[in-house]
Amino acid sequence: MKVIDTHTHLPGTLLGGVPRPAEELRKDFEEQGLSGAWIMTLDGLVGDPRPHNDILSQAVRPHREFFVPFCTVWPHLGLKACLDELERAALKLGMRGLKLHPWLQAFSMTHPAVVPILRKAGELGMPVLLHDGTPPYCTPLQVAMAAEQAPQTTIILGHAGLDDLYWDAILACLRLPNVYLCLCSLSVGPISQVLTHCPSDKLLFGSDSGWQPGLVRSALEKFVDLGLSHEEQQRVFHANAERLLPLESSEYGTLS
Amino acid sequence: MNRQVIDSAVRLPTRDGALDAGAWFALADHWGISHAVAAPSDEFVAVYNEEGNALLADLVERHADKLSALAVANPWYGPRALDILNRAFDRGFCGLYLHPARQGFHLTESIVDPLIKLCLARDKPVYAYTGTPICAMPLQLAELARRFPKATFVLGHMGWSDFSGYDVIPAARQAPNIIVETSCTTGAMVGLAVEELGAERVLFGSGYPRSHPSYEIDKLKDLTLSQDQLDLYMRRNARRIWKIGA
Repeated sequence: MKVIDTHTHLPGTLLGGVPRPAEELRKDFEEQGLSGAWIMTLDGLVGDPRPHNDILSQAVRPHREFFVPFCTVWPHLGLKACLDELERAALKLGMRGLKLHPWLQAFSMTHPAVVPILRKAGELGMPVLLHDGTPPYCTPLQVAMAAEQAPQTTIILGHAGLDDLYWDAILACLRLPNVYLCLCSLSVGPISQVLTHCPSDKLLFGSDSGWQPGLVRSALEKFVDLGLSHEEQQRVFHANAERLLPLESSEYGTLS
Repeated sequence: MNRQVIDSAVRLPTRDGALDAGAWFALADHWGISHAVAAPSDEFVAVYNEEGNALLADLVERHADKLSALAVANPWYGPRALDILNRAFDRGFCGLYLHPARQGFHLTESIVDPLIKLCLARDKPVYAYTGTPICAMPLQLAELARRFPKATFVLGHMGWSDFSGYDVIPAARQAPNIIVETSCTTGAMVGLAVEELGAERVLFGSGYPRSHPSYEIDKLKDLTLSQDQLDLYMRRNARRIWKIGA
């Protein structure tokens, strides 16, 4: 089964990590069974993210047929700086999605810059993947409230509410056409509940790999006993991801 | 897999008003888990404690080699909760299971104190579900454990999800009477707990049915534990804490 992981990080020094080159990371991911990975910064989630957008885009440039880079912006820098950086990341760096982490980046989903940022991402064709499931900044319903105001933007709850708030994530997914759920870091029971209640064309596989070893393999292990049909497996493990962001067929080099 | 794995974190799911142990026994057999410390779940945790304990006691009496039981008693029942817990201990239950998010109290609220005192008097440990703000957080359990330094507390699910790598180790350092149970969290967090607290204070759990033995056993593959540490973590600590086979 082809597997695209929609929630990975470039290892950095945050959380006691050790930076690793993209080539080594790709080899590790491939050995654990991945055919592609949406990749986000880790170190750039603390402080000014702009240098880290450069670092990530440079790091994965030779691996664009495998890694799909996501940029990040930081609302505390001000709305204009965020919109400028989003445009730079999309048009100059070729980054294809936006990652926001309200908890680490210390802003609430009710921050006034959030909805304009989400709308801008939608204009640029960038899905937005958010950390979620953590009160008080990023509960699924806080994300849903913002997503409702940016209906043209694909919004992905990066942890489908985590173990405490997965039911809220299910409600958001069912109510809002632009809200998707990434089955990342949830335990098996909550994953089973999400699969039971949500349409499988709005669900994505993710592992949060890059900050601890072996996370892809153990994330895949969670699905072994869940009885997914072949079609559901195809959608969750790669087809939905490919529909939202097709992997590039050749080395990056088409953007200015 | 060694056939002597003891699982300290099973909740038997509810089906048609009863506790369903069949699926668990099949999984345990497949994954080499020889004995599980189990609690009731769902409505039996929140409301129908006495009924849940009775159903579990019946199961344990029929499968004493495979199951030990944790009792449920919602602190809001007051003196009635003490009666429920006393009766469960009389039937051989090995500890108390607290689920603050389901039972509607904070681990720091004194409403739970009479139950802890009873556990102390009966020499029974307390398993506390942790990981859910605002009522079931590791540092709140540490406060409780510091108020009752002679009681043994098991910090359930290692604070998963967002407290595992942050609060759990500092919380356990505040109270040496806290033992950490590792279901649901990642393999790296198990390694961290063993390294920082010592293998004597870390317990294997499958977290069933919230988690699954396949994940819980697979996640240990990248750990470099000594045989002695693994032995403590996978079985000896559980035998000591829950007095299994005593």
